[in-house]
Amino acid sequence: MKLTVTCTVNGREVRADCEPRRTLADFLRHDLGLTGVHVGCEQGACGSCTVLLDGATARSCCLLAVQVDGATVTTVEGLADNGVLGPLQEAFRSHHALQCGFCTPGMLATATELLRDNPRPTEAQIRTALSGHLCRCTGYQHIVDAVKAAADPGEPEAGEEQHRS
Amino acid sequence: MGEKLIGARMTRTEDVRLLTGRAQFVDDVRPPGVLEAAVLRSTAPHARIVRIDTAAAAAHPGVFAVVTGADVRAVVRAPQPVIWRPDPDARIPPAYPLAVDRVLYEGQAVAAVAATDRATAEDALELIKVEYEPLPAVTTLDQALAPDAPRLHRELPDNVAGRMVVAKGDVATAFAEADVVLRQSFRFARQMGAPLETRGVVATWDPFTSRLDLWLSTQAPNLARELLGEVLGLSVDMIRVRTPDVGGGFGNKFDFYGEEVVAAILSRVSGRPVKLVEDRRESFVATVQSREQHIDVELAARLDGTITGLRGTLHGVLGATLSTIGMSPCWTAAASMTGPYDIPAYEMNVVGVLTNKPPYGSYRGFGLPKANFVHEHLVEMLARHLGLDAHAVRRKNFIPPSAFPYVSPVFVFDSGRYEECLDMCLRAVQRAGWPSFVSAARARGEAVGIGYSFHNEVTGFAPSRIANQSGLQNAGFDEEVVRIDSTGHVTVRTGLSAMGQGLHTALAQVAAHCLGVPLEHVTVVSGDTEACPYTGYGTAASRAAAVGGAAVLNAATRLRAKVLRVAGHLLEVSPDDLVIDDGVVSVVGVPEAAVTLARVGDAAYRRINGLLPEDELPTLEEREVYDPSNVATAYGCTAVLASVDVETGVVTLSGYLIAHDCGTVINPSIVDGQLHGGAAQAIGGALFEQIVHDGSGHALTRSFSDYLMPMATEVPPIGVEHMVTPADHVPGGFKGAGEAGVVGGGAAIAHAVADALSDFGVTVTSLPITPPSLLAAIRKGAGR
Repeated sequence: MKLTVTCTVNGREVRADCEPRRTLADFLRHDLGLTGVHVGCEQGACGSCTVLLDGATARSCCLLAVQVDGATVTTVEGLADNGVLGPLQEAFRSHHALQCGFCTPGMLATATELLRDNPRPTEAQIRTALSGHLCRCTGYQHIVDAVKAAADPGEPEAGEEQHRS
Repeated sequence: MGEKLIGARMTRTEDVRLLTGRAQFVDDVRPPGVLEAAVLRSTAPHARIVRIDTAAAAAHPGVFAVVTGADVRAVVRAPQPVIWRPDPDARIPPAYPLAVDRVLYEGQAVAAVAATDRATAEDALELIKVEYEPLPAVTTLDQALAPDAPRLHRELPDNVAGRMVVAKGDVATAFAEADVVLRQSFRFARQMGAPLETRGVVATWDPFTSRLDLWLSTQAPNLARELLGEVLGLSVDMIRVRTPDVGGGFGNKFDFYGEEVVAAILSRVSGRPVKLVEDRRESFVATVQSREQHIDVELAARLDGTITGLRGTLHGVLGATLSTIGMSPCWTAAASMTGPYDIPAYEMNVVGVLTNKPPYGSYRGFGLPKANFVHEHLVEMLARHLGLDAHAVRRKNFIPPSAFPYVSPVFVFDSGRYEECLDMCLRAVQRAGWPSFVSAARARGEAVGIGYSFHNEVTGFAPSRIANQSGLQNAGFDEEVVRIDSTGHVTVRTGLSAMGQGLHTALAQVAAHCLGVPLEHVTVVSGDTEACPYTGYGTAASRAAAVGGAAVLNAATRLRAKVLRVAGHLLEVSPDDLVIDDGVVSVVGVPEAAVTLARVGDAAYRRINGLLPEDELPTLEEREVYDPSNVATAYGCTAVLASVDVETGVVTLSGYLIAHDCGTVINPSIVDGQLHGGAAQAIGGALFEQIVHDGSGHALTRSFSDYLMPMATEVPPIGVEHMVTPADHVPGGFKGAGEAGVVGGGAAIAHAVADALSDFGVTVTSLPITPPSLLAAIRKGAGR
């Protein structure tokens, strides 16, 4: 049995038939060809498959495709257009915030949500926001630096003690 | 700008594709007609396979092929190869891609299905009936070595796979004459690299032509091609291995896995391309595991803190069969255990012991984190015992700069300024204000401390002679091809593998630097055994920059000379009077007398009207095969600021500093990133990560809910400082940096915890430091 799913993905309305057991991640990857959605654990622990669902982050491996019928989805493929990187993508690039890049699409989704909801986060707030994402390459330092750089240049509201060199 | 690219913090050429979802990882490769496979895995830790019934699975709609161990055994010409044999007399039990007759660990592959999609393949797995006759399992060292222990392999007299000795000097005399002898035992848990992209392969083995085409998420495509040829009885020209974007390797994707053979055979049987990607749950039994060692040592010293001898026994707790690299991580730990210290007498007995667990294989650090933990613990222990400052003991025993090249028990260290590096780290700690932070925290009654470790590391593991002497049955040289095309742009072809470490950017920087072209004029091509040159071993052992960088430098330097000869001909001046900058060749002091590299390229390829000198061959291409004379020794000092909640045993890290020397730095951002990432893996290894088997052999760690890797909230801010001691024997002076971050972290964290808990007399001799184990130590200390 297949069900028809209609939703808006990266600004385009799409319609596809899929099995009820199809996860949103597999639907995006295999039915829509959006392979920027990465599947790292299939249990919602690593965060690599995170997308924006009606503007809020969601783990696409833990949702079924049929659950997004009528919704709006943004994947990493929808964060830039016309060959120009978005500000967060540019900050990730200039701060060497990625190595293998497997976790990066999920990190970008969460950082997008964070900066929209809190334009001037502290370092601790950035780390907390990203704490649902595993990165095995970077040690997070450059990711935190990149998100900070992409944030509103004003001062964070609460200071915090730093012990870096 | 071209002249200054070595050492520049360039943004990476890899990033835009990765940032926009345009990368292609192995699971994104979908050739027409591709089937997806799934593997049935043993539910028993040790059992005889009484029978397997695959009839229902084969009949399931959408299933194209089902294979069992017997089917695979009938096709392969050899068991899974073991290429590294530090013990030439090692007893290597044969291992096949799917279990034949017996399963030796929970999760061992038993059968495989190829179907229209993964879900259908998994449905079919549920229809395979396997009858197991359980056998007793051994998972701990004590169980495996017990006199009446169940044997894993009937053809072996016991569960010992091999014994090796690493030695130097007169140990007996050193201990007989010692003022002080200290003893300590160390335990390291089983851990793994756990790249976020699991392993995967897409195999097309054409039943008509016998050609085998693989997309493989690997760090060693040339090695995979050769080993596939050996196992499947094919000449290597029949095999093409392509590597797409690789989502992290950390050594785990170095080894040659049975699934690669199984996918090929499923393809041959089905006549279709077959994709086999392990899921995360599988990865905890199907990807190699590492680190598990028991090390018992004695240290001999004089009262002034001079270390005179080190000896002991290292037990490697291996899996049920040997991985591609055999017992070499255990041997490497022994080969490296004297670290940066001039210890004249050393003897380490290495024993590899088989248990009913997945094979022990490659993971970033490869024995060195354990070696470092041992020598750094001993230095601190000796200092405490003698009432000396630990850094004073380090300084007293460091190999001094004047002693290089220094003959360690196995390797010859080329260079090092250890004391300066220690001082650099101590200054960074002062600047960061840690000592006053600790004083203030302790005044508030908090348990806060600073820990250090000093490491050195053999990098650029490439000299074939040294690799062979260490038991590696493979060459280590590297080959690079640098070509300038008819538009003056540059293509570097490398046999090394890109797995996220920034290989393309680093090699492009070296080529652009030597050739005087902008970085964006250089393209690096990797990941195809038919289009790219050969590299021995693979991309591991901190070798890509140190070996590939040097080979590119040599090739590009020769190519530059040809560019200058052609340009000299075009400009009618001597090549000696020319410089290249930003893709333009000009006469020194006469910038208007110039030709672009595009014109030089055009002359070399179109060869019109005598533009190319008569005595020059057309084209602009150089090939360098580089087999270094020696390894290159990098080193560093790690400092960690930690606090301990004495009520719960939870450790929190709040600062992490590394002073590091990897010779000439090609791109400081990339090296920083490597050190940061290694530090995070060291933190995971020191505080969280542990693969656990229960007493009967069942694998309890099967997900990221069980195997806890550090997130952004567990990793503190990390600071890195570089010093530069070039490797004189390596063109460019490069040393490797890929593993450095993980080597010293465990010891530094353990010492920070010990410093924080000095009131309780807690010392740490095993990793990871879990809250229950630390709490027990705190309570024991409180009751003193």
